[in-house]
Amino acid sequence: MNIQPQTVGPMNSRQRVLAALRREPVDRTPVCNPTSVATVELMDLVDAPFPDANRVPELMARLAATSYTELGFDSIMPVFSIIQESSALGCKVQWEQKDNWPTVKMREPIYQDVDDIKIPADFLTHPDTRCVVEAIKILRKEFGNEVAVIGKTMGPWSLGYHCFGVEPFLLMSLDNPGKTKACLDRLKEATLQFGLAQIEAGADALTLPDHATGDLVSGEYYARYLRDLHIEFAERLAVPIILHICGKTEDRMEFIAQTGMAAFHYDSKNDPVESMRIMRNRTSLVGNINNPETLFSKGPEEVRKEVVKNLEAGVQLVGPECAIPLQTAIENLKEIPKAVKEWHQEKASQN
Amino acid sequence: MGETIDLGRRMELVPMDPHFHNISIALYRQADGNGPVFRVHSYSNRDGTRQRVEFVARAMAILGGLELVLGESLKLRFPCRAEHPFACRRVFLEACKLDPSQAMEPRPLQILDKKSNRTITVTSQGNGVYLLAAGGEELDKASRIAAVTNGLMKLGQMQVGVSGGDSVAFACGQSHDSLAGLLLVRALNVRAVLREQEMTASRGVLSAPSAQK
Repeated sequence: MNIQPQTVGPMNSRQRVLAALRREPVDRTPVCNPTSVATVELMDLVDAPFPDANRVPELMARLAATSYTELGFDSIMPVFSIIQESSALGCKVQWEQKDNWPTVKMREPIYQDVDDIKIPADFLTHPDTRCVVEAIKILRKEFGNEVAVIGKTMGPWSLGYHCFGVEPFLLMSLDNPGKTKACLDRLKEATLQFGLAQIEAGADALTLPDHATGDLVSGEYYARYLRDLHIEFAERLAVPIILHICGKTEDRMEFIAQTGMAAFHYDSKNDPVESMRIMRNRTSLVGNINNPETLFSKGPEEVRKEVVKNLEAGVQLVGPECAIPLQTAIENLKEIPKAVKEWHQEKASQN
Repeated sequence: MGETIDLGRRMELVPMDPHFHNISIALYRQADGNGPVFRVHSYSNRDGTRQRVEFVARAMAILGGLELVLGESLKLRFPCRAEHPFACRRVFLEACKLDPSQAMEPRPLQILDKKSNRTITVTSQGNGVYLLAAGGEELDKASRIAAVTNGLMKLGQMQVGVSGGDSVAFACGQSHDSLAGLLLVRALNVRAVLREQEMTASRGVLSAPSAQK
């Protein structure tokens, strides 16, 4: 348990998140959103609908801020989607409408071989990467040091899916490990460049989604292809890094804990107690509140149960397991910080 | 600090209103001393939103036989004071679909069923019971009535009526003619309704790249 209220005075949201990412004592468990808590109702509230909120810095910042101002989370994440840098690399993007996510058209891959991979000279000035950097600057200026502003830079495995297509990339990883590693090594430059630009813009931490997901990629694969790269990211990106991988990932948590990543954003398919046991306080855990079945389809009572389950396990930061569905009810999201605060009050009253 | 308010439990959401600038409109369940109250709400601040939401509430009253709570233009309840949650959600969705330029009136208690080319009629028997009947020849008539009965039960959470497979009943034991007429339209093809619900629910859920089609 990381809660030591006797030794820690009141913290603001930013202090709370950063302390939890370092596994230092906190006044209460922070509620953190390393991916996205944008909803269609919040888009209406601040007049910042998708797809424009993914492409216009002012709208991106305005919608992202609702995480803190409306929902009561301790963090703000302006990078809702997972396609910004892939767009800048040249991938075709289906931008969709207000009620759906932009996606990369992975059936129209832009790379077939290692030598195709070239980070464009305008990578960081492309409108879809620049939008993120500008949004972070706006948020930092508006909120100062009161709330944690988290950026996002996609890992090379995810970029490989986007740029080569999922099936070709996975087949390459089976048939030609050397070539796959060479591809990852080139793609990591996009991860690093975009991450460093966001840090310079004022990001307090970075989420690094790298979709070596439990359904398609084994723990052994993670160790073979990604562990060393993730160690390099943790060393070269000078803010806490929150690794995000969807699905059941307990089989690779030991390897993740060896990377130096500050936190792992983990899926509800993993048991909080078992996950904490594997991590052994080497990497913080964040997330775990189920999206499709709980946050989207059930009510505040069920949300509260999952929050408490994570708190009881000693999970360092609580939040949704991944980007929440855009139709999620606001009352379910507000229940997360409410449940966290009430749980801590109850514990304090027992001591 | 924030502008979001406690509106109760959200029952249904239209994420993009086709008739008013793609705003989202939601139906919330509240309660007062007289039982469940349903509140129509949009977080949009766009000019004209209030009028649009009031239109939806009025449409719910006319199409579904709900009544506006005294002194309120956005809150409704059923005259029986029961919740009828499935039926209420259906009324809300149909009210949002209604073309504002068209006349707003309750649906009749009979409809031409294009699938069987028969007129299907529901008739109130009192105490919330409705009897289904179909015109035309006897062949396949019973099976078609059974299918429509099943559709009404699914859409409105209705029960089998006293006479068995050709009647349905509202659990509150009171008549809801407007509601029965509205549900009848969709009960003819309940599979299409369920497909539409599934499609709507699946939009806006972000999948990992490996799970994207």
